[in-house]
Amino acid sequence: MSDLHELCEVAISAASDGEAVEAYAEETRRVEVEAHKGEVEGLTFAESRGVGVRLTARGRLGYAYAADPSEDEVRRAVAQARENAGFASEDEHQALPSSSSIEPIDGLFHEDQAAMDTDRRVRLALDLERVATSSDPRVGKVESAQYGDAVSRVAIASTTGVSAEYARTDCWCVVVTLAEEDDETQTGFSFRVGRRLAELDWQDVAREGVERAARMLGATKPQTARVPVVFDPFAGSSFLGVLAGALAAEAVQKQRSLFAELVGEQVAAEIVTLVDDGRLLAGPAAAPFDDEGVPTGRTELIGSGVLNGFLHNTYTARRGGTVSTGNASRGGYRTTPGVGTSNFFVDAGGSSYEEILRAAEGGVLIQDVSGVHSGANPISGEFSVGATGLRISGGALSEPLREMTIASTIPEMLRSVAAVGSDLRFFSSVGVPSLLIGEMTVAGV
Amino acid sequence: MLDRDLVRDVLRAARSRGGSFAELFVEERASVSIKLDDGKVEELTTGLDRGAGVRVALGTSFGYAFSNRLDRGALLEAAGAAAAAVKEGSPGEVVDLRTLEPGVVHRAERPAADAGAADKVSWLRAADDAARSVSPEVRQVVASYGDSVQRVLIATSDGRWVEEHRPRVRFYVTVVAGRDGNIQTGSYGPAALSGLEFFDAHPAVATAEVAAKRAVTMLDSVPAPAGEMTVVLGPGMGGVLFHEAVGHPLESDIVDKEASVYRGRIGQQVASTLVNGVDDSTIANGWGSFSFDDEGAPAERTVLFEEGVLRGWLYDRLRAEKDGAPSTANGRRQSYAHPPIPRMTNTYILNGASDAADVLASTDRGVYVTNLGGGQTNPATGDFVFGVSEGFLIEGGEVTTPVRGANLIGRALEVMSAIDAVADDFGTWEGVCGKDGQGVPVGSGSPTLRISRLTVGGTGV
Repeated sequence: MSDLHELCEVAISAASDGEAVEAYAEETRRVEVEAHKGEVEGLTFAESRGVGVRLTARGRLGYAYAADPSEDEVRRAVAQARENAGFASEDEHQALPSSSSIEPIDGLFHEDQAAMDTDRRVRLALDLERVATSSDPRVGKVESAQYGDAVSRVAIASTTGVSAEYARTDCWCVVVTLAEEDDETQTGFSFRVGRRLAELDWQDVAREGVERAARMLGATKPQTARVPVVFDPFAGSSFLGVLAGALAAEAVQKQRSLFAELVGEQVAAEIVTLVDDGRLLAGPAAAPFDDEGVPTGRTELIGSGVLNGFLHNTYTARRGGTVSTGNASRGGYRTTPGVGTSNFFVDAGGSSYEEILRAAEGGVLIQDVSGVHSGANPISGEFSVGATGLRISGGALSEPLREMTIASTIPEMLRSVAAVGSDLRFFSSVGVPSLLIGEMTVAGV
Repeated sequence: MLDRDLVRDVLRAARSRGGSFAELFVEERASVSIKLDDGKVEELTTGLDRGAGVRVALGTSFGYAFSNRLDRGALLEAAGAAAAAVKEGSPGEVVDLRTLEPGVVHRAERPAADAGAADKVSWLRAADDAARSVSPEVRQVVASYGDSVQRVLIATSDGRWVEEHRPRVRFYVTVVAGRDGNIQTGSYGPAALSGLEFFDAHPAVATAEVAAKRAVTMLDSVPAPAGEMTVVLGPGMGGVLFHEAVGHPLESDIVDKEASVYRGRIGQQVASTLVNGVDDSTIANGWGSFSFDDEGAPAERTVLFEEGVLRGWLYDRLRAEKDGAPSTANGRRQSYAHPPIPRMTNTYILNGASDAADVLASTDRGVYVTNLGGGQTNPATGDFVFGVSEGFLIEGGEVTTPVRGANLIGRALEVMSAIDAVADDFGTWEGVCGKDGQGVPVGSGSPTLRISRLTVGGTGV
């Protein structure tokens, strides 16, 4: 750990007068095992390290990075960032954060997880495939069965007083099953993430992958109708990315957010609470500080349906006359910090899954949506997506449905939430429980 | 990049337990990216990446390990880790490394590194001005410039030694236009495997104007109709659909896992007789082109469809060896940090005989799609969905009102068979294709083509 910090120190000691320099160093060790037909199909060991240097001088920002740099290469990156800053536009809000006291998060790093031996990983991937292919006669194959884990270390230091580091363990397993009957094939996806293997319910991933594929066999295209719609957490999570973009202050300040003028307004049903919480240990993105060294915390973006505010990093906070919410985010050492979510979720509500199904009699449970990324307009909130799911009848799931489309707008959907499930679940760093939407048009034939 | 003795030692260490072959992929990538947003140069980033990945194969299984250190110790350690994936065996042979000369060379006349940051910033400023001068309704412009030079070395235990420089340039503009409460976006981002002569064919100003016109046009849009109807795809867009809905299920790893809707259909008529499709990494300066793929196989043109008959798969080395077929040079990877997998390069539907204007004029009612926002496909079922980012109604053979919020939903087999006209105005679209967490540059291309019946999901009636 110390050598990441030393690399940061090399960078900040290369600062000249009148400059602020920040160095962000990260190191990741990742192992993934892919099982197929009872054999290890792929075993990948990944190790990477890099440093990104952010430099500001007279309101101008420059950035440079280097993979696994020597001390000389770090100093060269500082010089390169300095040169790049010379071409940037002056911006009075451009500045690095100053130091804050940072509270570590207990349970973020597990020594036993970091020291896991590869045989155990291999066994898990093989077991995952075996269970997924032996519990239903129609599901005899997987497209993918994978176990992976990672140990990450991050250090950050700046001439403005930031000096912090953390280490984190993550693990995950994913399965995509194939259910076959006659000439038809359906796929079933499931995925879970955790801090350590001991707490990762992989049997449930296998079970769920099988169930989600098998229950889609025989799917038909429904008649177009306006009916109650339930989004299960898999389907609901697809929409959170659109919300995340619109709630970042960057989008608001650049007039690219559908929420721009709506702080203090009722933007969702009263039962909707939308939260970003970087300190939530159960969330994959948990970290004691954000990607520019500002402490993370809980931000209630929508409370009782009312929009309270936006996510900020240091830059957007200065520009908006407020304080950072600890949401500086970057895609690793190669990029400058923008604004992004940490653990971003619709908070669990009071309805059980069964209650939600009972309340949606005659409606449709959506288990998968496709095309949200391309089919939703992040600015207007309009979307039209493809969907697969099942009819709800007698409080239970009945016939499977495919080739449906759902079209609405994000604001309309938020306002129409009629029940929020208690089954909150995280997918990568977004989480959502089952949601009942009053009525939507489900288009088929 | 590395000396041959060291490379040979690494390959030997990788074959310490045998396996069918070992491979070393070494990469250095220098990149520049500049973003102009809201009239300001927000950031200028320069980066240097390097690393090496060692792969040991055994049938279609493999062990892969990489490091971003290139010293002997790190490389031998990676080789040992990758070898550990192979069960106990006796050491395999490493034959003499012989340099393969490229059959196809993509020239970069004016290397991006020869231009200064000031020039690159000036192109972004020109794009910003050009987009804003299209209409007073243009509210925001985000223009980005990116160049990179990827130097690779690929060496294999069966004697392959391949080196390649891949210079890439991309210019991307997104424009937000607004009228009262109505806000629409338009974007355009040509790209090439090329030097800065790229801008001769794609001037920054022209790229900005296309993006701005798209955004402004969509201000007049009405909600798209929903239901089954005739869809005409403009130049390039049929290629995007072909890539997603057809190309992915033809990738040999998906076929091998019995997760392809096209499995067992080689030689069958699975598309309209008007469809001739290829994947071609030899296209001069194509965004998805190269001299060698990331396993060291020479670039080639692979016929996928001939008059609607399925002719072949997209092979990487592992799957080709399993099937006893030659690789089609489709083994690609995002970087040294990723094992190669079967990927597309430039995937095209070739020109037909119709005139594009006639195709539209002979369409009574439908939707004309001039830009797609991206899509998703399930290779096992062939189900796909595409967002339409720029489209129009066709009424009585005329292209009329723009439509928004549309998507195209269908199944690969049915849609390819429903193509009833293919024009001769071939165009391309460049993008980054994601699969298994790896992004690679890909080109798509097609002339205008018509699908007689396709489900359009829209919010209108």
